[in-house]
Amino acid sequence: MPLSASTVIVPIDFSPASAEAIAAALDVAEDPSQIHLIHVMLPLETMSPGVLLGDLTDATRTAAVTKALTELAQKHRASAAQLAVCIGTPGLEIADYAQRQQADLIIVPSHGYHGVKRLFLGSVAERVLRHAPCRVLVLRRPDAE
Amino acid sequence: MHQARTRLTSFMVLSLISLVAFLPPASAAESPPAAAAAKQSLAETIDAQFGTVVDAMARVLFWEPLPAIPIPLIVLILLCGSLFFTFYHGWLNIRGFKHAIDITRGRYDNPNDPGEISHFQALTSALSATVGLGNIAGVAVAIQTGGPGAVVWMMLIGLLGMTAKFNECTLAQVYRKVHPDGTVDGGPMYYLEIGLQQKGFPFLLAKMFGLVFAIFCIGGSFGGGNMFQANQATSAIRGMVGDVAGLDWIFGSILAFLVGLVIIGGIKRIGQVTEKIIPLMCGIYVAAGLIILVMHAQQLPAAAALIIRSCISPEAAFGGFIGVLVQGIRRAVFSNEAGVGSAAIAHAAAKTDEPVREGMVAMLGPFIDTVVICTMTALVVIVSGAYNNPAAGEGVEMTRWAFADTINWFPVVLNISVFLFAYSTMISWSYYGEKAWQYIFGASRRAVIVYRMLFLGFIVLGAISSLENVISFSDLMILSMAFPNIIGGVILAPRVKALLTDYWTRYRNNEFTTYA
Repeated sequence: MPLSASTVIVPIDFSPASAEAIAAALDVAEDPSQIHLIHVMLPLETMSPGVLLGDLTDATRTAAVTKALTELAQKHRASAAQLAVCIGTPGLEIADYAQRQQADLIIVPSHGYHGVKRLFLGSVAERVLRHAPCRVLVLRRPDAE
Repeated sequence: MHQARTRLTSFMVLSLISLVAFLPPASAAESPPAAAAAKQSLAETIDAQFGTVVDAMARVLFWEPLPAIPIPLIVLILLCGSLFFTFYHGWLNIRGFKHAIDITRGRYDNPNDPGEISHFQALTSALSATVGLGNIAGVAVAIQTGGPGAVVWMMLIGLLGMTAKFNECTLAQVYRKVHPDGTVDGGPMYYLEIGLQQKGFPFLLAKMFGLVFAIFCIGGSFGGGNMFQANQATSAIRGMVGDVAGLDWIFGSILAFLVGLVIIGGIKRIGQVTEKIIPLMCGIYVAAGLIILVMHAQQLPAAAALIIRSCISPEAAFGGFIGVLVQGIRRAVFSNEAGVGSAAIAHAAAKTDEPVREGMVAMLGPFIDTVVICTMTALVVIVSGAYNNPAAGEGVEMTRWAFADTINWFPVVLNISVFLFAYSTMISWSYYGEKAWQYIFGASRRAVIVYRMLFLGFIVLGAISSLENVISFSDLMILSMAFPNIIGGVILAPRVKALLTDYWTRYRNNEFTTYA
């Protein structure tokens, strides 16, 4: 049975793998405007120079990310896609967003972190899998062990 | 908004729990001897733990490689590194001074360049981390342990350190990562890892340099950037209110709570006000110093003669010529952090597409910190006679005594400065430490909370310990950072040199757009 879905969520971390995920979404989505590209930002560090002295706020960060998402979508022929920016723990925010949008598929690239980073970061893909309210397609990295 | 409130509430709960955990038992107040014994044994246990680490590190850092000259390895690296950078970059600290001031004044600020903050803000941020107890208490310690002659070496390493700072901050800009949300990650761990690989180092070795730096930086953020500040701020408060029982616990907890409000509670307003007040506090401190020097104008020539005489032919008690040199360099580097690499983390965030330009701004840091502020403290301590008056006390107390000798109400202002300097240094260093922590453990919520809780714990620890090992630990960690940073910095210096030559040619040909 070929994979097909109406509302497709694609988490974007701006790594090269994000492009593959967009391509996969375009393949399976019935309507490109039902693809949602979402980027999750970690909470701002209050003690960073940009916050204490500069004008870095969640609003400026959201604007910058939205611009970057728009450019990425255009570059990969997904201009029709809907864009979203959230703040929090990536895996959980993605699952929550999918719930709100009543999505039926999440396409997530796997990075394959190792060592201590894996212990703390876990894997976004793992968290999405555990909390997702719908089907999840994990794109395995070719060089992952 | 909702998120901020949740963060604040969880911080309040956490801090209440930790306060209860940290406070001595209630019965302690009723039976002072038992309480004192219990407290001492806890402090002693902690001190012993630090002692083990300190001993092992000191054996390497203070190993004397030259058979005839008793100069520790790390001091040799700092001195030779600073000399190398100064000659290699053609005395940029002197020929680039005026241009550095023009950049800092905003003449070349293009608001559309990538980064988080302006050149001036980057310098303020880096200074808020370095201007602290090192300038007030550290100078007194240098004179106590190295005699007045140590001041000459402090100034000299301050001047040479300017180009070390230039080198590391330029590298931090070259190898920084600008994220899609506009935030920046940069600093020695990144330029060591990426830069050394580009130089042909195998991945593992380059990564080792980055990791070793990050580990020492985390240690430095708990030591010099935290415990030393908390310890000396507590000492300043004790000098004001007297020896009240349990004062160090209470004050340490308050300090940890106030830092926690910013780094965990997310209340940025407090941090913003503190950071913006720092240049003003520096100004007040220098102005008060100047007033004292003017009032003691007739003693100045004698003081200058004493400094030079004891630098050339120091008393044997201070360990002779090399002993004085070592003390001067250690205290200067502890204060301005040139060659240590910490400030590079802040300077990486500056808005610019010219790495050299930020390096030049960074160069002003050691000048303001050491050549201006430390020298001011030193002269006040000497002309007031505090340096050889046993009644003056040690460290921050000696400096306070020296200022009070001429301006009797100044200790109040000094105590406020000490508190604000310590507070802003702790907040800035928590950022440095966290960036190093993220380099190792990643930037997840869980990872950063662990770091921040540890940071607050160390504040209380710093406030309650009057013990030498904790202070030595602070010193050693900061000095250790220079190891990977200077070695890597020297290897990567040709890249900086090429950028500088190109930049300087364009500057000479007036090719830059000015904005103000």
